[in-house]
Amino acid sequence: MGSHGNNLFGAVSSSVEAVTRPFHCDAISQQIRTFIQMRTNLKVVDNSGAKRVMCIQAKSGKYGAKLGDTIVGSVKEAQPRGKVKKGDVVYGVVVRAAMKKGRSDGSEVQFDDNAIVLVNNKGELIGTRVFGPVPHELRKKKHLKILALAEHIV
Amino acid sequence: MASAAATAAVSGVVLPHSLLSHRSSPPHIVALASSFRRLSLCASPRRTTHLVARADASAEAGEPEAEAEPVSASADAEAGEAEGAVAVAEAEEQPPPSKLKVKFGEIIGILNKQFIEEAEKVKTVPDLRPGDIIELRMQRPNKRRLSLFKGIIIAKHKAGVHTTIRVRRIIAGVGVEITFPVYSPRIKEITVIRHKKVRRAKLYYLKHKLPRFSTFK
Repeated sequence: MGSHGNNLFGAVSSSVEAVTRPFHCDAISQQIRTFIQMRTNLKVVDNSGAKRVMCIQAKSGKYGAKLGDTIVGSVKEAQPRGKVKKGDVVYGVVVRAAMKKGRSDGSEVQFDDNAIVLVNNKGELIGTRVFGPVPHELRKKKHLKILALAEHIV
Repeated sequence: MASAAATAAVSGVVLPHSLLSHRSSPPHIVALASSFRRLSLCASPRRTTHLVARADASAEAGEPEAEAEPVSASADAEAGEAEGAVAVAEAEEQPPPSKLKVKFGEIIGILNKQFIEEAEKVKTVPDLRPGDIIELRMQRPNKRRLSLFKGIIIAKHKAGVHTTIRVRRIIAGVGVEITFPVYSPRIKEITVIRHKKVRRAKLYYLKHKLPRFSTFK
């Protein structure tokens, strides 16, 4: 589970809602998800070869990266024959975030996991396929290639 | 009758306490019940003189005739008539009571009801509960077709016109939860397809369950 992974690294990447009397659900299911910051583990959802990336820096945002932002990460786990290998420093675009992202019509969207797609420093995709759903927010951020390759746009 | 009411009102101001303590005749108590409340709200003698001065003017205007008639028709003491006249004058002098007499904290409630009524005119919102499996059609900007969202309602957050529902579904292998404001004009249609029996108001536990519980064709 993502929450246990975070606790392992000791990062404060998700804050637990103040539940004084946790009645039916335990505190973990009441978590308020927060930003993607240093040491956040993210899943890679393209075929660039990397499997997991740990965020080193959020390129924009005071508190961390949100849906659609770019981050700098270090590849922690990679497939044997891929375009990137373990230990590489890569840029990535966050395509799924567990933190709610508000939209201008009043709706909010959140996913079950944190996922990125690797790009180079110019913003071009390293991989050639994208797996899973991606949100609309990428259109505003001009990541049209990712939207074109996506399986499903939420 | 107008002059009689005026004189009765003038005599009434001399004894403000008797005004308040006197009860009108039973058949008219309903008509005056609301007036009584308004009277009691401004119980100081100074206020009633202010009103009585206006009562003269309004009695002459002829409008409170309709309301003053049932009161003056009764064979009560003149204090009863005075009450009626003053109370009517008070009702007259204030602009529609629902605007002024509303407590400050009630304004948001009233505005919310107005917004909901306006939204209801355009589309009917069905009764939504957590556990309903719904299909929602939403208008997106610059797109002609309505986009479709399916899923199970895992939470309903009631906040007047910003009542939101949180809909969960597994899309392309990943769970997605979207919060929709129910009365938004962008949402064109909500239909309940099925209902899953749940024993909770908030189904956040579905996140940690197997994906098949959140999968809907």
